[in-house]
Amino acid sequence: MDHLLGEATRSAGDAELIARAASGDRAAFTELVERHRAAVHRYARSLTKNDADAEDALQRTFLAVWRSAATFRGPASARSWLFTVARNAALRQARPRREDATEPEALAELGARAGWGTDSPHALLEGAEVRARLGAALARLDADDREVIVLRDLEGLSGDEASSVLGLSLSALKSRLHRARLRLMASLQEEIR
Amino acid sequence: MKLDREVAGLTCARVLEHLPDFIDGRLAPAERASVEAHLAGCDVCERFGGSYGAVVAALRRELGTPEPLSRDVEQRLAQALGAPASDDP
Repeated sequence: MDHLLGEATRSAGDAELIARAASGDRAAFTELVERHRAAVHRYARSLTKNDADAEDALQRTFLAVWRSAATFRGPASARSWLFTVARNAALRQARPRREDATEPEALAELGARAGWGTDSPHALLEGAEVRARLGAALARLDADDREVIVLRDLEGLSGDEASSVLGLSLSALKSRLHRARLRLMASLQEEIR
Repeated sequence: MKLDREVAGLTCARVLEHLPDFIDGRLAPAERASVEAHLAGCDVCERFGGSYGAVVAALRRELGTPEPLSRDVEQRLAQALGAPASDDP
């Protein structure tokens, strides 16, 4: 379908594409979909329990983007808006998250589980199939941990963008991300023991 | 090992807290200098900080690009969006 798009559409920024979609420009909308569908699908899959729900969320996301493009306010980050729409769509399918009433694990304990104080951290990424092992460790995390890593480390959203998507303060976002990364390292540690 | 060990005026616990901002280059110059001084004198934190940074870099390098949609998913998305101005399909 790319060959049907004009150069101006292919080179437009996301905010411009959303603005043009809001005025009914199907080519701009198509470009936006093609640009972000894989990322939105991955993000949705990180929030849902199965592929079918993720696919449903993917479709709902872009339908909602088409319908509500006019509500997008340009100065905001287009990607954070898009991921917010995707989050809302995905969480319609996902089960309500369990509120964790337990005390959060002390950072020192989490660090120790992640390999602080041992010689093994160097070994975490040694060997073959790093991509597969990282993906598997990510899949083993709780949804909250996985989500923040997907947004910040995989999709590359800024701290401000990710905190906007998640409805967290920047400091809360940073804390969640740090703990999620440590749990990921702990998961990798357990795998090589 | 205890995280309350102090090296260059900074405990290991504080270094652990600062790691994300340190690897992102977001610490103020004075804080950055303190962390660097600690790392220079603390093998445990130097080793762990290096591992932490390597894992974050590997996430970005290895998983930063999402897998393309399968042909089937792509086609069903296109069908769902075929008449996006209408109500739910």
